[in-house]
Amino acid sequence: MTTATLTDRYVDTAMRTVPEAQRADLAAELRASIDDQIEARTEQGEPRDAAERAVLTELGDPDKLAAQYTDRPLWLVGPRYFLDWWRLLKLLLYIVPACAAFGVSLAMVLAGASFGEIIGALVPLLISVVVHLGFWTTLVFVILERTGHDTMDAGPWTPDSLPEPRQKGVGLGDMIASLVFLAIMVGVVLWDLFVGFVPTEPGLSFLDPGLWPWWILALFAVMALEAVLAVVVYAIGRWTVGLAVANGILNLVVAVPALWLLFDGRLINPAFFSTIIPGDGAEVGQIISIIAGFVIAGVAIWDTVDASLKAVRAQRA
Amino acid sequence: MSESEILDTHLQELRRGTIVLACLRLLETPGYGYGLLEELGERGFPTDANTLYPLLRRLEKQGFLTSEWNTDESRPRKFYRTSDAGTRLAAALTDEFRAIATAIDTLPEEN
Repeated sequence: MTTATLTDRYVDTAMRTVPEAQRADLAAELRASIDDQIEARTEQGEPRDAAERAVLTELGDPDKLAAQYTDRPLWLVGPRYFLDWWRLLKLLLYIVPACAAFGVSLAMVLAGASFGEIIGALVPLLISVVVHLGFWTTLVFVILERTGHDTMDAGPWTPDSLPEPRQKGVGLGDMIASLVFLAIMVGVVLWDLFVGFVPTEPGLSFLDPGLWPWWILALFAVMALEAVLAVVVYAIGRWTVGLAVANGILNLVVAVPALWLLFDGRLINPAFFSTIIPGDGAEVGQIISIIAGFVIAGVAIWDTVDASLKAVRAQRA
Repeated sequence: MSESEILDTHLQELRRGTIVLACLRLLETPGYGYGLLEELGERGFPTDANTLYPLLRRLEKQGFLTSEWNTDESRPRKFYRTSDAGTRLAAALTDEFRAIATAIDTLPEEN
């Protein structure tokens, strides 16, 4: 019985990852080279065992050597694809988990789940979404790397694809847009309360008529403050931390009472859906209430975060 | 990384391309892996075995070297020889190297 020498084991290991067609030729050449090197050392008086060990140590990891022989990449995603991989992954991580969390929590609220149940479902959902995104995106790029496809870019990079400088100041357009939006909102609320949007049911308002006059006037007062804020932001020329905080407070002042009224059943006119959809009106009203709640909270959070980011960016500039 | 390690890395980078040039020029006379490794070392192109062997394969695949097994001796060896394309590449690399050397000579002196 013969035992395999270290050289046998080394050559076998290296050949495991070499394509069948090249294997015999490469194995014979590698073995001859190793034997030559060992012989050169033994001729200088080194014992054979030590010489063999030294030669193989110098050659290094056989899998690495085989990869160099066959030009196989020793990385998961190399420099050619790294930037595309990283940009795509970041983009997906910005979009997908937020959409998934929003969709699932909306659906669960509609199905009548409790707050705890929703949190309990969201945490594992977000973890699995992030892990899946990372895994599948990377897998695609690992395959691209190994099949040598070109990047998905339409062409080579040109200076035209540089990002536009981020707007640091606040222009006249932003202020006008804010003011026009507030004015339209005032008009919509008044039209709803006094005329109604359902042509067949004049006078039927979407908002609870009981909100008039005090709640509605309070809302208009806050909106007037928001208009003042928009003018101040324009006058200063940028968002500051103080203005962003003021904006956040105004958002809270609108969103918190609105949500409280909504879940108290006093924001949306209870007669609205039961009048236009006889029968299922109550259930539809329930669903619309929940969606309205998400929209109110979502708009308040988005607007607050947006202003804060602008304030931070303006401070850095 | 210590300063001598950084120096080694830079020297290695600088020498990398010259190994190809030396191989192509030396293999105008056919040679095999280990023999070439020794000769490179003697002529001032110290190379690691695990760099040289894959390099020979790559140059063969690119058509700059041809190979053939020599079984006349007790140990069969794969002999490489520079192809016509390899000779042209060696000439181009040599010209380029001389141009770089000339350009370096015209750089401002260090002191």
